[in-house]
Amino acid sequence: MTLLYLVLGTLFGFALSRSGAADYDYIQGMFLFERFQLYGILATGVLLTAPGLWLIKRRARTLSGTPIKIELKPLNRGTIAGSLLFGVGWSLTGMCPGPILVNIGEGKVYALAALAGAVAGAALFGSLYERLQPLFGLPPLTKPGKAA
Amino acid sequence: MPLILHGLTPIHWAAAGAVIAGVTLTLLLLANRRLGVSSGLEDICSVVLDTAYFRRGAITSGRVWRVPFLAGLLLGGFLSAVLGGGWSPTWALGMWDQAVGLGHGAVLAWMFAGGVLTGFGTRLANGCTSGHGIFGNSNFELPSLLASASFMAAGIVTTQLLYRVILR
Repeated sequence: MTLLYLVLGTLFGFALSRSGAADYDYIQGMFLFERFQLYGILATGVLLTAPGLWLIKRRARTLSGTPIKIELKPLNRGTIAGSLLFGVGWSLTGMCPGPILVNIGEGKVYALAALAGAVAGAALFGSLYERLQPLFGLPPLTKPGKAA
Repeated sequence: MPLILHGLTPIHWAAAGAVIAGVTLTLLLLANRRLGVSSGLEDICSVVLDTAYFRRGAITSGRVWRVPFLAGLLLGGFLSAVLGGGWSPTWALGMWDQAVGLGHGAVLAWMFAGGVLTGFGTRLANGCTSGHGIFGNSNFELPSLLASASFMAAGIVTTQLLYRVILR
């Protein structure tokens, strides 16, 4: 399976690289309403994934027969607050998390700083989790090793 | 408009959207995995941070697929550069170079700051453009709809402020 994940990630990364989804100018063009490209990519992605998801959920099993289990994300004050912070970060760097890695792969040196920042930001969040939890109504931590 | 990468002409948006959908659906149909990239930041953290948050089940159980998938993102970008004219390190940053034009140190500081907001924000929101934007919206999940509206709005305001007000 590891090879499958690697191949899927490579396809995903190549498409992001060649479509403008990992391109600073195309991201700014989207936010400036000057370029349709990124809206087209996201809309096509959702419009094609939605019916596929519906079919897979109806089938209810993976190809090898395991029951499909989709973990739903919680809704809390962090959903909107965190997304607002992320939107600012996406605009400043011109990269959302996947494209940070794609840009590093392409050889964009500054993307290494974006990755260092993103890892530091995630580390900061994890370290402050117990303090942020009541503030944003985040779910309690599950015990180590248990599936969430 | 050409890409910053070798001035290449981008592929059609519908083709990119189709690949994204194909990868998302294949991950679920073959491997029972929900697409999501930003949780991978925690996999990286968990290498050095041994706190309860980074040892929770959602991290340890997802690592087996996320780590090779993230390696694939790097490889995809690398192959794209190699096949598109050759790989070499570059600082090219398009509009930024024309509008701001500060040195490398400023670019690194800027990118690090933006990265911190992205890393902290996506973890607080429990997802980014992939887990919320693509998967969650396709699955009609309310948190994902709210998250997407929020990160799009914040991105629009920030870029408009930067390029239409501050750098005008």
